[in-house]
Amino acid sequence: MNALRTRLRPIVIPTLAIVAAFVVGSIFLVLTDIDHMKSLASDPVGAIAGSLGAVGHAYMALIIGAFGDPAKFAIALNGGTDKQWATAIRPLTETLIAATPLIFTGLAVAVSFRSGVFNIGMDGQFILGALFATIAAIALKGAPMPIILLVALVAGMLAGGVWGFIPGFLKARTGAHEVITTIMLNYVASQVVLFSLRLEFLRQSNSTQPISKVIKDFVQVPMMLPLPGLRLHWGFVVALLAAVVVSWLLFRTTRGFELRSAGLNLTAARYAGMSAGGSIILAMVVSGFLAGLGGAFQVLGTVGQMSNDVNAGFGWNAIALGLLGGLRPAGVVAAALLFGALRNGGGLMQVETSIPLDLLVFLQALVIMFVAAPGLVRTIYRLRQPAPEGGAPVEEGAAA
Amino acid sequence: MTAAVAPADTIAAGASAAGRRALRLARARGIVIAALGVAAFGFANATMQEQATFSFWIDQQGGQALTIPITVGALWIVTGVLTGIFGLYQLWRGASVRWRLWLALVLPLWIAATIGTLLSGKPATLTNLFAGSLEYAFPISMGAFAAMICERSGMFDIAVEGKLLLGACVASIAASVTGIVIVGPIVAAIVGMGVGLLMAWLAIRYRVDQIISGTVVNFGALGLTNFIYLRILQLNTDLNTPPTVEAIQIPVLSHVPVIGPILFAETPYVYIAIVTMFVLTYMLFRTRWGLRLRAAGEFPQAAGTVGIDVIKIRYRAMIIAGALAGFAGSYLSLSSAGSFQMNMSAGKGFIGLAAMIFGGWNPIGAFGAALVFGFSDATQALLSILGVDVPPQLLTSVPYLVTIVVVAGVVGRVRGPAMAGQPYEQA
Repeated sequence: MNALRTRLRPIVIPTLAIVAAFVVGSIFLVLTDIDHMKSLASDPVGAIAGSLGAVGHAYMALIIGAFGDPAKFAIALNGGTDKQWATAIRPLTETLIAATPLIFTGLAVAVSFRSGVFNIGMDGQFILGALFATIAAIALKGAPMPIILLVALVAGMLAGGVWGFIPGFLKARTGAHEVITTIMLNYVASQVVLFSLRLEFLRQSNSTQPISKVIKDFVQVPMMLPLPGLRLHWGFVVALLAAVVVSWLLFRTTRGFELRSAGLNLTAARYAGMSAGGSIILAMVVSGFLAGLGGAFQVLGTVGQMSNDVNAGFGWNAIALGLLGGLRPAGVVAAALLFGALRNGGGLMQVETSIPLDLLVFLQALVIMFVAAPGLVRTIYRLRQPAPEGGAPVEEGAAA
Repeated sequence: MTAAVAPADTIAAGASAAGRRALRLARARGIVIAALGVAAFGFANATMQEQATFSFWIDQQGGQALTIPITVGALWIVTGVLTGIFGLYQLWRGASVRWRLWLALVLPLWIAATIGTLLSGKPATLTNLFAGSLEYAFPISMGAFAAMICERSGMFDIAVEGKLLLGACVASIAASVTGIVIVGPIVAAIVGMGVGLLMAWLAIRYRVDQIISGTVVNFGALGLTNFIYLRILQLNTDLNTPPTVEAIQIPVLSHVPVIGPILFAETPYVYIAIVTMFVLTYMLFRTRWGLRLRAAGEFPQAAGTVGIDVIKIRYRAMIIAGALAGFAGSYLSLSSAGSFQMNMSAGKGFIGLAAMIFGGWNPIGAFGAALVFGFSDATQALLSILGVDVPPQLLTSVPYLVTIVVVAGVVGRVRGPAMAGQPYEQA
């Protein structure tokens, strides 16, 4: 019993944090339900009940959108055809697809935050990864598909790495705060993308939108399932492998020990003879590699075409899920699956109840807040303070 | 002792490793600058025939104008000569040159010459450029002031961006609902205070890392305002059509030729920023409140030992900063834009942080830095109105790149409050 309690402890706070976030979210949903609120004076009970019903409907749509409709599963289980199976598991696979870029960017957060570097630049690293993967793919058009795929993935990864190197180098050499430089580089990256998408070489010729030529026709990450209409590709498995690699790098290698030491106490690490500047740069580059690779897989596997909104907030979500996952690779994967489910289910919610997806951004901010302040969650749920133990560096509010 | 009185270039001649490095750096700087001077002559050659017309409104918009016609080539020659002299002087004198002062002299010439070249003959009214710089500088400078108060008290405040956005959103709604302009900024300031209080509470009571709580606010504000915009404002446009803040002509001063239309015909926001700059300078460096605030940021243990309530000071600082940033946000929706749009702060809060660092955690310096960023915004607006053929993405990137350069300390390493961002345990 006691062992079980110890095992469950890392999950308690995140779970309660999510529940609290959803409760706060529903309060906001009720408050912003203009149609129901207008009748608040004349029929308060009806208004509140009506808007609460709408909230329930929205959260239901969220869940069905994320995990699939039980009715369709029932049909498929009763000797369904391929097509019926595909329809039934489609929401689930879409959740995994949505989780893939989140795993990459979440790992990028884990590596950098563990090393004491607040990389907020995943957005820029991700979108440049996607851009350079597209450029490489279009440049190599006509070559054998595996070669294009490999080169494009490497190009995307390197682009992300370079975009991570710049703030890392600046931090190590001049002390420029990475939070500011990475955010600025995010803006620059999106301008680079807008600029590049106007070039004849990349531009979709018959469109005025900032989108590239379709690369899906000649390069595509292979699919995992042979069922029709499913888009789940092997990028998801690569993302899981990346989590294993990051876990090994951080917790099983000397370099990883140095990185984590730098994250826990930079001065102590420096006195122990470790290169502080080297750790910062390494953490930023690895972080950039991961985000860039995520971008490359997004464009090569999922969307098949570069556009200026290909990053769709993955970088920002990553910070939330990285913290939610306790900056542990396994935790990041779990949190990414959850956020992927939210994102995917949010789509159905938006369609069915016209509640904007941005609600989820707000919910994620609340989740970060509650996870970063375990004391707050304990106060809300009246939990007891656990026995002290060595926590992750940022969770307990160590200095940046 | 001898080292201390010897001229700087003798030290640089090789006494120490640091001295040698400084000399090498100075030499490299000299070579680069001299090369830029030569490049300017190259530009001059290409633009010898080009005419640029810079004009200023003398009394008011659209009235009589003071026009300065100039050949772009000539402008480049002046720039080239001065830059060359600067570069050579730097090479000759090494590390002892006050190069930042020189840079401040040469840079405006480069900017004028570049703008002249880009305009390629189109006449430009510089009154709007300078007046616009002041306008654009407003949210940046207020953001910088807000962050400065926090950091001086020992708290990080990277959430200026989020507070600007929230301020813009609630100001638009409040002003639209009531139909009274002044309600917007007031409500925005109150909401900003609430956010500041929340952040202080998270950081002090629950020891949340201040970078993370700042990220929460930025991220949450973006999500919340987008949500409100899409769910309410988009469908109920009457909630997002606020009365706007108009420019006020200051009676006598606005008729001073050339300067009047630039400085004294602005929206009240600009005047408030200037007043805030002076008040804040006085408050920070001449009052008991300021001394205690700075003590809390530099050495909270010492401050605590003499009986100063560090925690209270930090709470108060965060609330004041929230009010300033929220108020600044109201400018975005009530002044030029005339309504709230999604993500309309577009990084201005972060640029404010850069302006604070650029200005050395000092209100007057920060305001100057904000003017530089405002000028860059105004130039961009001017060039795009005139339809100058420069990729807009390049122009949009300029303030962001300048911020990176500034933060990276190329303009000079500056030291912030020692204990900013460190939690403090009150005994």
